[in-house]
Amino acid sequence: MSLDINTKKAKKHAWRISKERGIGASRIRVPGGYLDAEVLGMVQKIAREYGNGYVHLTTRQGFEIEGIHLEDMDKVNELLQPIIEKVGINQNPEDKDNANGYSASGTRNVSACIGNNVCPFANYNTSELARRIDKEIFPNDLHFKVACTGCANDCAKVRMHDFGIIGMTMPQYDPDRCISCNACVKGCTSLSVSALRMENYKIVRDTEKCIGCGVCVTKCPTRAWTRSEKKYYKLTIMGRTGKKNPRLGKDFLVWADEENIVKIIKNTYKFVEEYISPNAPARKEHIGYIIDRVGFEKFKEFALKDVELMPETIMNNNVYWEGIHFDNKH
Amino acid sequence: MKNEYVPFPSEIKEVIKHTNLEYTFRMEFDGDVKPGQFFEISIPKYGEAPISVSGIADGLVDFTIRRVGKVTDEVFENYVGDKLLIRGPYGNGFDIDNFKGKEVVIIGGGTGVSPMRGVIQYFAANPKDAISTTLIAGFKSPEDVLFKADFERWSKTINVIKTVDAAPEGYEGPVGMVTKYIPDLKFKDPKNAVFICVGPPIMIKFTIQEIKKLGIEDEQIWTSYERKMCCGVGKCGHCKMDDKYVCLDGPVFNYTEAKELFD
Amino acid sequence: MGYQLSKEKMESIFKTLQETHDIYAPVVKKGDGTFSEVDVVRYDKVTSLDEIEWNKKSDYSFKEALLSINETLFYFTEDETTVPKGPTKDLLIFLRACDMHALKRLDQIYLDNKFGDFYYQRVRARAKFCLMGCEHSCDSGYCVAMGTNKADDYDLYLKLDGDKALVDAKNEDFVAIFNEESKLDVTPDYVTENKQKVSIPKNLSKATKDNPIWEEYGSRCIGCGRCNFVCPTCTCFTMQDIFYKDNPKVGERRRVWASCQIDGYSQIAGGFEFRKSQADRIRFKVMHKHYDFEKRFGYSMCVGCGRCDDVCPEYISHAAILNRLAKEEG
Repeated sequence: MSLDINTKKAKKHAWRISKERGIGASRIRVPGGYLDAEVLGMVQKIAREYGNGYVHLTTRQGFEIEGIHLEDMDKVNELLQPIIEKVGINQNPEDKDNANGYSASGTRNVSACIGNNVCPFANYNTSELARRIDKEIFPNDLHFKVACTGCANDCAKVRMHDFGIIGMTMPQYDPDRCISCNACVKGCTSLSVSALRMENYKIVRDTEKCIGCGVCVTKCPTRAWTRSEKKYYKLTIMGRTGKKNPRLGKDFLVWADEENIVKIIKNTYKFVEEYISPNAPARKEHIGYIIDRVGFEKFKEFALKDVELMPETIMNNNVYWEGIHFDNKH
Repeated sequence: MKNEYVPFPSEIKEVIKHTNLEYTFRMEFDGDVKPGQFFEISIPKYGEAPISVSGIADGLVDFTIRRVGKVTDEVFENYVGDKLLIRGPYGNGFDIDNFKGKEVVIIGGGTGVSPMRGVIQYFAANPKDAISTTLIAGFKSPEDVLFKADFERWSKTINVIKTVDAAPEGYEGPVGMVTKYIPDLKFKDPKNAVFICVGPPIMIKFTIQEIKKLGIEDEQIWTSYERKMCCGVGKCGHCKMDDKYVCLDGPVFNYTEAKELFD
Repeated sequence: MGYQLSKEKMESIFKTLQETHDIYAPVVKKGDGTFSEVDVVRYDKVTSLDEIEWNKKSDYSFKEALLSINETLFYFTEDETTVPKGPTKDLLIFLRACDMHALKRLDQIYLDNKFGDFYYQRVRARAKFCLMGCEHSCDSGYCVAMGTNKADDYDLYLKLDGDKALVDAKNEDFVAIFNEESKLDVTPDYVTENKQKVSIPKNLSKATKDNPIWEEYGSRCIGCGRCNFVCPTCTCFTMQDIFYKDNPKVGERRRVWASCQIDGYSQIAGGFEFRKSQADRIRFKVMHKHYDFEKRFGYSMCVGCGRCDDVCPEYISHAAILNRLAKEEG
C-alpha cells in the first residue's frame, strides 16, 4: 500500500521525514530543557511501541523518537499530547483539541543551561525564563534561536544564537563585612575578568570591566559580597552557525532586565516579518542576514519599540560582528 | 579598663646605623622594661611591628630594626627628633636573676643578638655577677655584623666570639657557624652553666643539639621566640603556639617549655 | 521568674525595650547567601519579634553583635589619637544555648587572658542575653557531646507559642518589666540528644601533630576561612592602618576579623610563614578548639554548634575529624 502523507504539514508539526522511505521521527522539544522525569517514561513508551526503541537527544534539548512508521503518525500524536502539556509547549488550540501534535518549524526550542536550580555559578532560573519566552514567542514559523545561560561561562553557548541571555548580578559590597582576605580578588582574577583590586584593605570594583558573573559573591567568606536583589542580564545578539557566515553573538544590552529583553525579542519578529527576503527558502532567513541588509539602525528602530531601558542598562548603539565568511571567498 | 591599643608618641633621640639594613633607634621611654621584652612600634598610615628591646638606659630604650616588611621600611624615614607611636613593653623578657652566679653562655644569630643585648650589657658591666660570661655571636658576613662598637667594649670584660658564616679572603676574624664554637666551651661546673640562645629557628635547633652534647639539662637553656605578635596582649591570636601566647607568656621561654611548643 | 503573656503584649514590651536597647537577633537575609536565590541567616538589629528567625540556626554567629567585623580602634592625626565612642544603648542579644557557652569563651579571651580588652569590655558591659530554646536538635550541632546544650546564665528566656509568649526573666531589670504579667514556671527548651554523634577525643597531645589526618584534610581545604568566620568562639583579628586618600597623615587603625586558615595569618615581617600548608592550619584550628585552649583555660573551646560544618564549601566536617581523632588517638 502506498503512503499518502502531507509532508509539509508533518514537518511543520515537528515530524522529520527520515531518509528511510516510510519512516519518520517525532521531535519533542523541551522548553528550557527542564522536565518532569515522568515524561521520560512516556517517551520510552512511544519509542518502544511505535519507534525502533531508540531516542536521540537533540542539540536543542529535545527528544527525537526514531524509526516511527509514518502511518502511525496520528496514533503517536495522540500519545504526544500529554507530553506536550507536561513539558509546557505553547500549542495552537486547534492542534490541542485534535491531538495534532504541535506546530513547530522556524522558531527553535528555547534552550537553557541548568541554571540556578542546581548550578552554584548561575545567576537566575534559566529554564523558567526559557519557558516564559516560549509562551511569548511560540508557535512561530520564523527562524529564531533563543537560549538562556546562567552566567558568563555561557555553557548554553548562547552566543551562537540570535538572542543569547546571559545571567548577571550587580555585586553588592558591604565594606563593614569585608575582612580583606582577597578571595574575591583572586577569584575574579583567576576565573573572570580581573575587575577587582584591594585599596586601603577594601575592594574596588572596576565597573567598566565587571561582567556581573558573581564569582566574587561565591568566593566571599563573610557575605561582604552579595547578589543584587534585581536580576540582570546581558543580551547578546545575532550569533549563528550556518553555511554562509557563522559568527558569535555580540553584546547588545548589558545590565538589562527581563521585561525589556522579552519585548525586544517579540519586536524583532515584527522586524523580520517586514524585511525577510521574499526569496528566503521556506521563509527561513537568519535575522543577522536581514540586519546586514537593512542596517542596524532599522533593526533598533523595531527592536526598541516601547522599550524603556533601566538607567543602569548599557546599550551598544552599534554592533559589528566578525565571523567566518565562507560566502565571500573567491 | 586601660585601652592597651592606643600608642603613645616617643621621640627618636639617636639613630645608630649598623648595616645598610639594620639600624638602632634610641628612643625616649620612662618606665620599667626588661631585655627581651618588645614594643609595638607603629607609624600612622602603615601599621605596627613587634620590635624587641635591644638596650635599656635611663629614660631610653633601643630598638634594633631590620628593614623588612612595609612597616619597618617607614621607620627608616624617621630621624632624630621625629616621633614614633609606640606601645609596650610587652612580654616577659629575660630575668637577669636567673643567670646571676652562673657560668653564662649567650649565643645569638643575626638580629637574634638584639633581644639579648641588655643581658650582655649587664654582664659586661657587672662581670662579677656571673662566674663567667661568654658571648658567641654569628652573622652572615662581615657586612652584616651588628653592634660593632659594643663588641669592642664587651670583649674587655667578657669572652666574645664574633663569627661570620662566610667571609671574603683576608678576613681575620673567626669564620664558621656559632655551633662550631660550642664543643670547645669549658665549665668549672657544667651543672652551673646557663645558656641563652636566640636566632633563626634552624640555628636554634642545631645550637641546642650541640649544647645537649655537653651534658647540659633543658632547664639550663633559655631562648626567645619570634612570632607574629600583633596585639601584644593575648587577643589577636597570631602568636599563639600550643597553649602559649608568645606575647604574654614569652617571648622568653625556658627550654623545658620551649621544646614542647609547636606552631 | 517565669511569666506567660500574649504575644501582642510581648511585642509591645519589645517595642518599649528598644528605647533603651539595641536588639540583635538572627534574621533571614533574603538572597544574601553564597549562591543565587539562597538566603543566609545572620545577626542584625531587629525592631519586632516577627523579624527574628526562630527556627533555623543562624549561619553566622551572634559574635558580630559584640565584636564588629571591622572595628575602628582609634583615629589618628599627626600627633593625636581619638578613640571612637562606645555604644549609647544597652544591647539585647538573642542566642541559643551553644552560643551562651560560646560567650564564656569570648569573655575568657577578651576579659581574662592576662589583659582585658577595652573595646570588647565596653560593649560586653552593656550586653544582655535572651536565650532562644532548642525544641529539636539542629542537623549538624553536637552540643550534647560538648556539654553546651543547656544554658542557665541568661538574662531572659523567650519562647513564642502561637499567640502566647513564655518568658523567664533572670536579670532584675527584666523582672521589673514583666512583674505585672501572670506568673508561670518556664523552663527553657533544650535538646538532650543530637542527630550528629560525636566522640570527643580525650587524649590529644603534641604527638597528634603527626597524625596523617591533617594531610588528608589539608589536601581538601581551600583555606577560605569560612569556618572561622561563622564560629562563635573564634576571636582572632588583624590590625589594619588606613590612611585617608585626601590627607595621608590622617587615618584610622582598625582591627578586622582574622582566620588562621587564610594565607598570611602566621606570616612575620620578611615573609616567613610558620604554618604554610592547609594541613598545618587545620591541625592548628582543631587542636586549639579541643586541646590547647583546654590546657590553658580548663575547658574545651568548641561548643559544638556545627556552623563550621554547615558552611564548609569543601564539605570538611569538624565533627568527622573529631570522631576520627577519638578513634585513632583515643
